[in-house]
Amino acid sequence: MLGEDIRMALASMAGNRLRTFLSLLGIMIGVASVVAILNLGRSVTESISESFEIGGLDTVNVMPRGQARETMIFTEEFAYDLMEEIEGIREVLPTVSSMANVRKGQEISEGVQVQGVTSGYFPSNALELDEGAFFGPIDNINRRQVCVIGKELAEELFPAGDALGSYVSVFRNQAKSFLVIGILAERDESLGASYNSTLFMPYNTYVQRFRRTDQVGTYVVKVAEGYDATAVADDIEGYLDEIAGSDYYRLFSPATVKEMSDSVMSTFSMFLAAIAAISLVVGGIGIMNIMLVSVVERTGEIGIRKALGASPKAIRMQFLVESVTLSLSGGLIGLAAGTALSFAAVSLAGWSLHISLGAIAVSLLFSLFIGVFFGWYPAAKAARLQPMEALSRD
Amino acid sequence: MSSAIRLEDVSRLYFVGDTVVRALDGITLSIEEGSFTAIVGPSGSGKSTLMSLIGCLDLPTSGRILIAGEDTSGMDEDELALLRNRHIGFVFQHFSLLPRMSALDNAALPLLYAGIPLRERRKRAAGMLERVGLGDRMDHRPSELSGGQKQRVAIARALINDPAIILADEPTGALDSATGHEVMDIFHGLNREGHTIVFVTHDNALASECSRMVRLSDGRVADAG
Ligand SMILES: Nc1ncnc2c1ncn2[C@@H]1O[C@H](COP(=O)(O)OP(=O)(O)O)[C@@H](O)[C@H]1O
Ligand SMILES: [Mg+2]
Repeated sequence: MLGEDIRMALASMAGNRLRTFLSLLGIMIGVASVVAILNLGRSVTESISESFEIGGLDTVNVMPRGQARETMIFTEEFAYDLMEEIEGIREVLPTVSSMANVRKGQEISEGVQVQGVTSGYFPSNALELDEGAFFGPIDNINRRQVCVIGKELAEELFPAGDALGSYVSVFRNQAKSFLVIGILAERDESLGASYNSTLFMPYNTYVQRFRRTDQVGTYVVKVAEGYDATAVADDIEGYLDEIAGSDYYRLFSPATVKEMSDSVMSTFSMFLAAIAAISLVVGGIGIMNIMLVSVVERTGEIGIRKALGASPKAIRMQFLVESVTLSLSGGLIGLAAGTALSFAAVSLAGWSLHISLGAIAVSLLFSLFIGVFFGWYPAAKAARLQPMEALSRD
Repeated sequence: MSSAIRLEDVSRLYFVGDTVVRALDGITLSIEEGSFTAIVGPSGSGKSTLMSLIGCLDLPTSGRILIAGEDTSGMDEDELALLRNRHIGFVFQHFSLLPRMSALDNAALPLLYAGIPLRERRKRAAGMLERVGLGDRMDHRPSELSGGQKQRVAIARALINDPAIILADEPTGALDSATGHEVMDIFHGLNREGHTIVFVTHDNALASECSRMVRLSDGRVADAG
């Protein structure tokens, strides 16, 4: 019976193609926009996530600030304190950094980010070499004047490409010479940092040579596997508020930012989708309209069917199935159109398309619901027709 | 012989504005099983109204109608639908076929509501169309058939569930006299097989071929035959 009802519905739709298409426009546009918005939202979220992942979602940066030095908390020992106090930390890498001018012969780079780090910093931040080598623990202990520089900086100072094995001068009051032992591979920006024009030197070298004029250092906290970086960040924050107070440090964790951005993005796209869903109601009214017209037009047919033994239930079912078939067809076309639309938009923006499975489920369920909801009244009207009345009304 | 159809003091009133139209006015009538009854009378005398009441397409304003001994006045819509489907076959003056369906699907339609599977429906409808001489027109739409052919599809449809009662309201009214006679021959054949047939006609010659003739006048039985 259901199969027969679907067959009849398709036949009746095919019998009036243009009208069917026009009455489906509303629901098609509605579903297409909901699907496009949810797909786009998902694609944007994913592309933001990818950029967070480059920066390391297992990282929490703790940056002392203000009069922090007076508290005498943020010493090198603080790294060990942190590891003991907070659960879920794999390692704490102290770093220091400042801006300096770097020169090689006639070439000079102004305001270069100079960072003193321990050798663990490189693998922790997934930094890779283009050529040469990273400095190791021995270089740190011996406070050797070696450096690893970003690709862009290397090209700026050494247009001829002979950076590796050469010396550069780092200016801070006075110039100091550093041997370039490694050049970083280029990499995409994440949260505004790409390391492409940074100069890295051993932590102890930096402390000895530059500390007097320095900026405040950063503790790069690496979260152990199996722990939630957001939760660890919260723990650290709680601990620091207790021992130092919130004025004396700043905490930055990509995972926390990502969590916020994800939730903002999904709220935002849900909000837009909800607005677009209003057009689905308009689409539903389109379906109801066409079904009401169809019931009036087919009054004679309904009379004949009833005369031949169709029960009210059978008639109601026939028209409900027709309305659901209509709205689902509209929904499917809308789904295809919305997917194509989001694909086009995402391609233009240079992201990759992430199909929102939720959008597919929601749009099909919504179409089904609209078919039943807006088809109910016309179908009930058809079912209620008295056979004699229906027959004599042609 | 028992009554296939029994009407007891049946009236059907129409209320049009302030006026009351007494389409049927206290009809009492029994139609025996296996009989072939012609209903005659002037236009507006209530013949069609009577047929639709017998066929349970309409309900009387007052009075009782019994089909095969069953009182229909207490039945709900589902029971009436079942009764129409299993016990009554309709043939209308203007054929009343569904225009978008083939002759085969039109003839098979009552079987859909009897819950018969598609293959079986098609097989039985094909057999029935063969019987009324339309074996070579099964895939034609009604618009591709002549009046006589359409009426034969309608007869095949009326017969498909093997109903005890066949009701025909001016089945020859839209046909020329030769085709009308062919259709009448089919009805006579069905009557010989045992179907109870009630049909409305204006044609006295056709009416006189029947075993009984009931004459209506102003919604009353003027001559019960
Ligand atoms: N739906 C209706 N509303 C009002 N009056 C009707 C309706 N149907 C039939 N009638 C009236 O009932 C009377 C009998 O009609 P009908 O049974 O069609 O007569 P017949 O078939 O004998 O020509 C007529 O006077 C007709 O006008
Ligand atoms: Mg009439």
